[in-house]
Amino acid sequence: MGMSRHVLCLAAALAVGLLTPASAEKVFRQANDLSFGGAESLDPLSSNRFIEVVALIYSRLMREGESGEASPELATSWTANAEATEWTLTLQPGVKFHDGSDFDAADVAYSLSRIEDPALESPVASVLGIIDRVEVVDPLTVKIILEAPHAGLPLLLLDYRVRMIPDGSGPTINENPVGTGPFRVEKVDAEGTTTLVANDGYWEGRPKLDKIQFTAIPDAEARNQAMLAGQLDYNLLTAEQAPLYANNPAFQVQSFPGGQWVGAVFRTNAEPFTDPRVRRALRIAVDRNAMLTLLEGTDGGAVGCDTPVKVSDPYRANLECPQDIEGAKALLAEAGYPDGIDIELFTSDVSPGMVRFAEVYQAQVAPAGIRVKVNLAPSDGYWDDVWLKEPAFVTAWDGRPADQFLNEIFRTGAGNNESFYSDPAFDALLDKARSTVDVEAARALYVQAQQMQFDDGGTSIPFLKNSRRVLNGKVTGILPKPEEFIRWHLVDLTE
Amino acid sequence: MIGAPILRAVLSKPSGAIGVTLVVGHVMLAVLSPLVLPHDPIAQSADLILQMPSLSYPFGTDRLGRDILSRVMLGGRAAMLIATLATLVAMVWGTVVGLLLALIGGRIDTYMMRIVDALSSIPGILIVMIFVAALGVGAAALIPILGYSYGLSVVYIARAAALDFVARDFVLAAQARGEARSTILIREILPNVRDTLAVQGAMQWSWLMLGITSLSFLGLGVAPPTPDWGLMIADARGVMPTAPWAVLWPMAMLSTLIVGVNLAADAFAKALGVDQQLRTVAA
Repeated sequence: MGMSRHVLCLAAALAVGLLTPASAEKVFRQANDLSFGGAESLDPLSSNRFIEVVALIYSRLMREGESGEASPELATSWTANAEATEWTLTLQPGVKFHDGSDFDAADVAYSLSRIEDPALESPVASVLGIIDRVEVVDPLTVKIILEAPHAGLPLLLLDYRVRMIPDGSGPTINENPVGTGPFRVEKVDAEGTTTLVANDGYWEGRPKLDKIQFTAIPDAEARNQAMLAGQLDYNLLTAEQAPLYANNPAFQVQSFPGGQWVGAVFRTNAEPFTDPRVRRALRIAVDRNAMLTLLEGTDGGAVGCDTPVKVSDPYRANLECPQDIEGAKALLAEAGYPDGIDIELFTSDVSPGMVRFAEVYQAQVAPAGIRVKVNLAPSDGYWDDVWLKEPAFVTAWDGRPADQFLNEIFRTGAGNNESFYSDPAFDALLDKARSTVDVEAARALYVQAQQMQFDDGGTSIPFLKNSRRVLNGKVTGILPKPEEFIRWHLVDLTE
Repeated sequence: MIGAPILRAVLSKPSGAIGVTLVVGHVMLAVLSPLVLPHDPIAQSADLILQMPSLSYPFGTDRLGRDILSRVMLGGRAAMLIATLATLVAMVWGTVVGLLLALIGGRIDTYMMRIVDALSSIPGILIVMIFVAALGVGAAALIPILGYSYGLSVVYIARAAALDFVARDFVLAAQARGEARSTILIREILPNVRDTLAVQGAMQWSWLMLGITSLSFLGLGVAPPTPDWGLMIADARGVMPTAPWAVLWPMAMLSTLIVGVNLAADAFAKALGVDQQLRTVAA
């Protein structure tokens, strides 16, 4: 009797188990565009970093706050000395790596000092090369000593590649990726499927998803088709693809300010662009709003006055610059071109929208007497043979923090100073901004620097593009903000 | 040159009639279109981006809100002009070299033809792309490069067609009379290979159209704002899933022109009785 009851109970339990599916594993599916052709590295400092995975398994010291400012992640607070040459960071206690070891100040010192390891040739060295050394004060305190004052160090530490790994693990980090992030690696196969599993011990709470998969789909249209077929939960979109997903409850389309831009560069050291009046005329003749709508559609981005600084960046200058055909004509006449001016603008389809940018620019500035000859250069070799070489060319950039951008493309002698802009007063302004600890005071200086670029710079940046993504309708917890704002442990799939 | 009986023979066949109609239609459109454009082909409008075909825009609008009908009407003109001039260059040098080699014969002919073989082994479009990429030349400079590259095949055709005649009595007689080579070429051989070369010229022209449009598609040919089928296809291919009309019309225009020229050239070859000769050479 007793036995038969046991059997009965077992049978009932089995039946229940068979009838109700065990609570299904929540697997979030993404595509890997295989941009490094299978040579993807899990070393965050590698120039081949597998960034989608790196961002999930390793944490940063700071992350972007609501308005782009540095807010706590593994560092809970930070202070600088009066000269902004020494920064002291306090770390989050009780954080463990995926292998169970404790995260502490030695790991921070190691992860930061690795940036300047010449053997790594990390692209991050150009951003954080100003770090002289990192000292461990106690297990939860580090001191970063800079070679030169920099009040914006926390913003630089937001760099998506500056992530914390265990002390001494650099040489093996690609094979044995251990971090403090919300997910840990189960299987890496860049050319096939890479699988991450939830880190149960994540310090901000266990992720709601069980797994995240990255399937290699190098072709953009194939990714789009996989998304349409319901084989992906997340994908990036172009403005043209967005209508495919509109008004379909199976998908959510998000559009949010990004940092990418396409612009025209008029080299300040090449005739006739040596005259600042000519450069200004070439920039103020543009109808920025119309150009934005033509190239990116409505809801396609944010217009600006030739500043590369993101809308979400606390240091962005928000100036007004409506199209000014008469003003452009007057400036050209003053500069000795009363009958208008002929210029040749090089472009190529090397990056999306660059050819159409030139076509729209050509049409918009024509009423001001600016006759643009568009020269279509081969995309192969464009960055080697045309960019920086021809007097006027179309360029394309991804977003960067304000200080990095302004120093990288406008400072005298900088390698990527594509307009060859050179003004000691401008450089001094950037130096002063770097050594100004007060955020508002620093902001005023960065804004002034952007105003200088609008007044006499050689780079036309009519707008910054929005980024677009599409999500499966079941996805929750992803706000319409850039990737770096996604809190992956809060992302969920709901029925 | 082409008599009424030939034309009648061409038009009596459906394929010939269709081909000639398409070609004549395209040529008339290219010549007359500037007079009858419904809209400004380069006027951009943010309010009209990728509009479906409608009464006011029968072919729809493109990514910059421009009227596609006006643009496809003009879109073949630049390429047709370049193709015509390049065909002339190709036919002239190819014919002169081909006929001369046929007449001279012997070792010089053998060696020269091996050089032509070697040069022909490099795809024409590749040669043009190398030149354009290296020199960054504009559309006008394409003419001699295309003329050279497409002229190589004319050498074979002209030489093969002429070989049929160099051993004939009237050529031998002219040689015996002591006439100059140039005179023999122009007065004895050229009139006999004229029809073959004319048909070959038409085919060359259609290949050149395709080649130039491909170059524009790749961004190496015609430059904006000139409306051009290749540029239009390149620009609209990104919106094919959502706005197929933007890529469809320029494609339709290019295909009808190429098909038309080929049908017409075929029909003329048959009517002139040179189709067999061309086929032998091609094989």
